[in-house]
Amino acid sequence: MKCRFKKRKSSSYSRDVMPCCSSSSSKSKLPLPLPLPLPIFGLVSKERPWPRKERHCLYYSTDCDKTALINNFQKRGWHKVPAFDGEWNLYWACAQNCRYIFGVDHPYRMRSDQIINHFPNSMELSRKDLLIKNIKRYRKDLERKGDALAMTHPNSTKLGVGGTRYMYLDIIPMTFVLPADYNLFVEQFHKNPASTWIVKPSDKSQGVGIYLINKLSKLKRFAYEARTFYPHFHRDTCVISKYIDNPLLIGGKKFDLRLYVLVTSFNPIKAYLYNEGFCRFCTQRYDQTEIDNVFMHLTNVSIQKNNKEYNTIHGGKWSMQNLWLYLDSIRGEGVSKKLSCRISETIRHSLDAVAPVMANDRHCFEVYGYDIIIDNNLKPWLIEINTSPSIHSTTKNDCTLKTRLIDNVLDVVIPPSGMPDERWSKTPSQDSLRNFTLITPIQLPKTPNSCQSSTPLTEAGGTGPLTDNYYYRKHKSIINRLAGGALPALAVSKAASKFLLPSGTSALMRPMVQSHIRKATESKKLSQKSKLKSKSAMKRGIGAALSKRVS
Amino acid sequence: MEELQDSSIHHMTAKVIAAIKNAKCYEPIYKELQRLVASPSVDKNDMRNTLEDAIKAAGLETEIRNMIFNLVRSRLKKIDAPDVRQTTKSLQSDPLSYLKRAGVLWDRRVRKSLNAMCGELKVPLHGQPRISADREDFVAKWNELSNYNMDLASYRPVYAPKDLLEVLLSLKGPTRPNEDNDQIPQWEFSHIALPVKNLFDLRTHYADLLRNDPYNIHDSAVQCQIILDSKLAPMCQQYLKKGCTPAPYRGALWAAVLDSKLHDYDIENWQKLRNSVWTTDHIVDKLVFKDIQLTASNDDQYFVFEDVLYQVLLCFSRDTDIANCVEYETFPVKGKTYEGPPSGVVPFHGICMFAAPFCYLYDSPVCLYYTFRAFYIRYCHRLTTINTHPQGIVSLCLLFEKLLQTYEPQLWSHFRELQIQPLRVVFKWLMRGFSGHLPPDQLLVLWDLILGYDSLEILPLFAIIILSFRKDSLMQVSSLDSIESILADLSSIKVLPLVQLALSRD
Repeated sequence: MKCRFKKRKSSSYSRDVMPCCSSSSSKSKLPLPLPLPLPIFGLVSKERPWPRKERHCLYYSTDCDKTALINNFQKRGWHKVPAFDGEWNLYWACAQNCRYIFGVDHPYRMRSDQIINHFPNSMELSRKDLLIKNIKRYRKDLERKGDALAMTHPNSTKLGVGGTRYMYLDIIPMTFVLPADYNLFVEQFHKNPASTWIVKPSDKSQGVGIYLINKLSKLKRFAYEARTFYPHFHRDTCVISKYIDNPLLIGGKKFDLRLYVLVTSFNPIKAYLYNEGFCRFCTQRYDQTEIDNVFMHLTNVSIQKNNKEYNTIHGGKWSMQNLWLYLDSIRGEGVSKKLSCRISETIRHSLDAVAPVMANDRHCFEVYGYDIIIDNNLKPWLIEINTSPSIHSTTKNDCTLKTRLIDNVLDVVIPPSGMPDERWSKTPSQDSLRNFTLITPIQLPKTPNSCQSSTPLTEAGGTGPLTDNYYYRKHKSIINRLAGGALPALAVSKAASKFLLPSGTSALMRPMVQSHIRKATESKKLSQKSKLKSKSAMKRGIGAALSKRVS
Repeated sequence: MEELQDSSIHHMTAKVIAAIKNAKCYEPIYKELQRLVASPSVDKNDMRNTLEDAIKAAGLETEIRNMIFNLVRSRLKKIDAPDVRQTTKSLQSDPLSYLKRAGVLWDRRVRKSLNAMCGELKVPLHGQPRISADREDFVAKWNELSNYNMDLASYRPVYAPKDLLEVLLSLKGPTRPNEDNDQIPQWEFSHIALPVKNLFDLRTHYADLLRNDPYNIHDSAVQCQIILDSKLAPMCQQYLKKGCTPAPYRGALWAAVLDSKLHDYDIENWQKLRNSVWTTDHIVDKLVFKDIQLTASNDDQYFVFEDVLYQVLLCFSRDTDIANCVEYETFPVKGKTYEGPPSGVVPFHGICMFAAPFCYLYDSPVCLYYTFRAFYIRYCHRLTTINTHPQGIVSLCLLFEKLLQTYEPQLWSHFRELQIQPLRVVFKWLMRGFSGHLPPDQLLVLWDLILGYDSLEILPLFAIIILSFRKDSLMQVSSLDSIESILADLSSIKVLPLVQLALSRD
């Protein structure tokens, strides 16, 4: 009895005491963390009405439930949240939803710890009519500035598929927007009536509504049919491009390259090319004369898979590694290096072309699927750019490739802290790049070794070489003018040095600039001779210095 | 002693000369020589010296040297062989006679099942002329045979690597009594009395791989070009030993080592073979089609070259030269002998993977064909027949087993505990020479080493290397399926560093 009573008492005592004790201890703890969350609360409250929870993991949201994505998110221990309440840190959105988020009627702005996988107006790249418009403007701008990149071949050279005489900017097949440029197209067509053209709707993907024509009557017939039978396909404009009728064939079949490019910023351009693209092969042997057979001409998987010859095990996809091995073996030493160099130049040009019009939102990154066709002379042609490249996997290899791609993309876009942050400088570490290679600004290709010299620069980081090069190009026209003008040699160098050196030139630039000036004074003597000649001399001298010093 | 050496050289010379006279390239060389003799640079009074100079100047000397190099390497041994057999004459006392017998029986079994297939499908083994409509269709689609349609549902590969493996595993020698008890595992090769190398021998054999050359890549391309210009086969072979052949030169180097440079008569021969494919319909064609459809067409590394492979393998099946060059085991066996296809090679499941890697080296089917054929005759056929050759599949299996036992005892006992034959896991690699398993760029390096060291021993060695590279994972699993899944993907394997590491390790 005694014993029991005692026990009860002690237990009741402890029961009474405990809450008091715990409340006091929680009170004593409370004052400490309070000042910390409060300011954050105040800062966030403008954007979100609810308080921030302590975040230990990242919340993601996605519009497409593909294994390549989900696996990677889960591997990182991220939690899925619905897209509509804006709780996410990373949103893998479809282009439409992304546009909605950036739209004026969207209820809130994005927080600093949110990122999304599209730029708001990336259709400047992906819509075929806008892309060609941007590229045309880019070329004109460079030409007006007298940029060395806008150099042209003499008028006597034959026009190729690109239809221009630019030495470096002839990257895309000649294209007209229909119906606006119809008359221009007809004029071109009559110049070379035997040519084949390819018509594509401006904003459709997966090979929808594409056809080849070699007669104007056919175009008219197609246009008529399209208007009457498929009005939903052709509400918008079409583009008509010259058809690359001499594609590089392997095993007798046509193929195109699907390359992945990650862009994290358009100002300055920070773009990375993924090393593991692939070739997409047609299922039928290429025959230029049979232009109505889509299985010979269109490499889109969504078209090819309808052919009975389509193989679901490999899906007509061949790795880039194999392509390089094959080209090196059959076409000779260094071919793959040169070609990959030209491809990344082509990609860079396309990005340079749209950079001025892109809304460079700091919350955005984007993976582009570049379609490139290589012609028989090993020249790459830009065909189109997809803003939402398929991450759907058709084969086993495909699945591992795309899973690796997404994994690598996430490594690059998520800062080392593990949480998206708009204030992050977006300079990923060399380790996190892995299969991505920085696409460096275009250098004037003078020496055959220019490709080789660009490789060490990939380590130099995004901004440095870019600004230097911009800076250099901006002043190249001035130096050109000075060199061609009648100023005395001393004045030239003085003027140039006054102009060039103090304005924040990096140490890296200095020797280049000096050699530049030297070159300028030298070529001044030649200025009586033809302008072209002095230009080429400049080109060589600067090129040598450039390839050594500047990217 | 010197006399003996002298006479042996004379003996050798006589044999070489006889062999040269039988060779195909004898006639053009002879004609060229006649032209040189009649040329003004050869002086009648100083015939020997001036003719020698003229031969050297015309580049004929290199050609003759290469010819002798190749003859000594391959064909002379074959001429030697019958003599040896006559002198020993005691076939029964030969410890390897059971192996030879097994070889002959295996060959017969394969042919028999081909014959049986012919009987079943009621087609003649010699083939039948194509009906004209089919012939036109066939010729029109010669460049895109993947679109040539025929019903292959009733055809199946005559044999697969697995079948050969079963036969190998059931080989019983006289030293192995039938009343095997449990202590001796049923699946070891060690009872076979074939001499094989140990790791020390292999290290000596592959010593050149470990030598560091102070050349960088740029130099090596220049060096390669110089070697190719010299046209000397032994030098080309020496170059391949480094295992870092620049891709653009590989095709030419391989052709030089295998003596498969194109001559006019080769092109004529190719056209003849092609015509015979066009005119006659052979059961082997169906098997070739079936095989390519089952393997290369589905392979993400080689599907691009499907059409070329059809051409090459169809012509391969008609080439009677192959039957003449390949050495088969001979052993008197009672019973019926069966006829094989014209080339003597019965296609098995995966034969096109021997030819597929060559697609990365040559653009034209003709070049591809002759180098592939030479490679097949010299190496691949030994992987599909049971023979006593030191590089035959039996020796390679034995080598694999001994290396595993000696240098990876842990793995060996692991396999033994699981009652899994380690050979079962790697046999498909060995039999296909890793083709279709390694990615092409690495496979070509491995085959560089085969050609450079003129030996298939690299295959079992490399199989060991892969096992030991993935040892940690292998030790953790306990079923054949999981072991196979660990070894299924070789895409991350780099040949040269791994081989060098394995050879240099103490």
